Amino acid sequence: MFKGKSHKVIGARSTFLAVLFFLIFLLLSSQFGPYNQSQLANIATLVIAVFSITLLTGASGQISLGQGAIMAVGGYGSALLVTKLGLSMWLAFILAIFISALFGLFLGLAAARLSGPYLAGTTLVMALAIPSIAVRFETFFSGDVGLSVDYGYPPNWLTKLLGEISIEEWSLYVVLPFAALALFAVLNLSNSRSGRTWRAVRDNEVSAALAGINIARTKVIVFICASALAGLAGALYGFRGLVAPSVYPTDLSLTLLTAAVIGGLRSIGGAIFGTAVIVFLPDVIEKVTKNLAISETIASYLPALIIGLLLLLVVIFNPRGSAGALERLRHHRKH
Amino acid sequence: MNSFLSAFFSGTAQGAIYALVSLGLVLVWRGAGVVNFAQMGQAMFTTYIASQLIQHNYSYWTAFVIALACGAILGAIVDLGLMRPLTSRKNSQLLNSQSMRTTIPVIASLGILGVLKALAGIIWAGEERGFPSPVPANAIKIGETSLAITGFDLFVIGVVFVTLVLTTIFFTRTGMGLAMRASALNPEVTRLSGIRVGSVRTLGWAISGAASSLAGLLVTPKTNLSPNTLDLLLIVGFTAAVVGGLTSLTGSVLGGFIIGYVIAFVNVYSAPENVFIAILVFLLLALFIRPQGILGSKEVRRV
Repeated sequence: MFKGKSHKVIGARSTFLAVLFFLIFLLLSSQFGPYNQSQLANIATLVIAVFSITLLTGASGQISLGQGAIMAVGGYGSALLVTKLGLSMWLAFILAIFISALFGLFLGLAAARLSGPYLAGTTLVMALAIPSIAVRFETFFSGDVGLSVDYGYPPNWLTKLLGEISIEEWSLYVVLPFAALALFAVLNLSNSRSGRTWRAVRDNEVSAALAGINIARTKVIVFICASALAGLAGALYGFRGLVAPSVYPTDLSLTLLTAAVIGGLRSIGGAIFGTAVIVFLPDVIEKVTKNLAISETIASYLPALIIGLLLLLVVIFNPRGSAGALERLRHHRKH
Repeated sequence: MNSFLSAFFSGTAQGAIYALVSLGLVLVWRGAGVVNFAQMGQAMFTTYIASQLIQHNYSYWTAFVIALACGAILGAIVDLGLMRPLTSRKNSQLLNSQSMRTTIPVIASLGILGVLKALAGIIWAGEERGFPSPVPANAIKIGETSLAITGFDLFVIGVVFVTLVLTTIFFTRTGMGLAMRASALNPEVTRLSGIRVGSVRTLGWAISGAASSLAGLLVTPKTNLSPNTLDLLLIVGFTAAVVGGLTSLTGSVLGGFIIGYVIAFVNVYSAPENVFIAILVFLLLALFIRPQGILGSKEVRRV
């Protein structure tokens, strides 16, 4: 499926967009203070996981409420490789991709038999059960305390090149290349033959099967790709400081899904936009509530309320998300 | 023997509550083709309402009845205000695709769940609070030996038993129950025979809301009440519904009791931290061995 026509697949457009993404983030980071730089790093990390939902739900129509659990697999995989085997962080990130892809293979084999609500429920149970494994096998995974890992310090050649680099900047420099590569891969995948196959399965399984597509195999492949992305995101997410069950709660899975829906489930640009909304919205709300002198308990639940309402409004009035709205706007102008 | 008995009794009492949750899920699934992930969010909200009433010196039973009514109203609102407009919109490009027709309602119900949790946090400050039980929660004693069952467990089993009997009578002996079964089986034909399928569907949502609200009232004396306490109950109830068969009401109740015993025995004979993994393994086993559930119909074999 991936063979042939590779010169067409690795397109100039996706290379351009990935480089553009990289440069825009660097530009923004040069304008921001340390706190917003670490928020940028959060966006670059989480967007990889949101891409996995764009592939899974947007492109192939399979819903997962457990992407946070797959992030935990990647996070624990990489953290154990670093703390127990003493591997380098970079190698651990790469291996985390393979570990979670393998996990995705098993998950996909089970998930290919499921659809719609069954898949949603099963992945939700998974989101709850996987982090609890870390508590169950406490001696190996260090339980609730978790494994502390971090991005370390910037190498000498980089500080010589750029001068003093803050911890926040360094965390952005670590995750940004991976985010750009993930963007490149996702753009190529969705424009390739496999992307078209996935969409065919999503829109109508019977006609896809009649066109000679192996439905089960296609679904498994999507799960492998999506899990690889989510696992990478989980590894990068954990290396902010701690890999523990509390870092990958069930709510994380739902937050990722919300980001994907707000941005537009089928749009890659929308995924980036949705992630930015999810990361920055609490800060914006906090600023507003501080001026309005709203009580602390209300303020602490306000982000969740507004994000939930946003999710509902998008689903009701504009199920294709911000990307759909943009497209409609463009369509209007043409006529 | 004693630990076996205590696992058996607590499994029965817990299983009765899971049966209610799973019954609520199956009612909505059969009627509307939606798995309502907001169900226990609705129950959490109505339990808070009951708790608030009790704090203002209303009797337990007044609060009990009002909570059930609120649960039914909330269920109907979710259907009328959100799910019906959402699923009836055929022209939307996104809903044209087969897989999205089941996915979008799931996402919508998650949105409701999020909003309800945040609202409860804002209104009731979100800290954990206790919820009273109408009967003492001590172990029952016969002479000197104390049995492995509490008065509250008996109360739970009794209430659920009455509910199940009433539900059975409703579905087998009344015209409305027959209409609900018919419209779940074949909406088109039912509509042609003059039954308002839409209203019947909303009634299903309302009954489901009341059932899950009841589950919330029965479980919180043991778990306490906070915006997040009932999340686990939904997951267990979903597993129960899948095990019993998402299309079968009897199956869902059976599944509830089965999962109740599984959890109780894991708790007693293994360790409490194994419960989540046991649920996952049990769910996966059920999906592999019998994907349509114990009493589910064969038509939906392709889950």
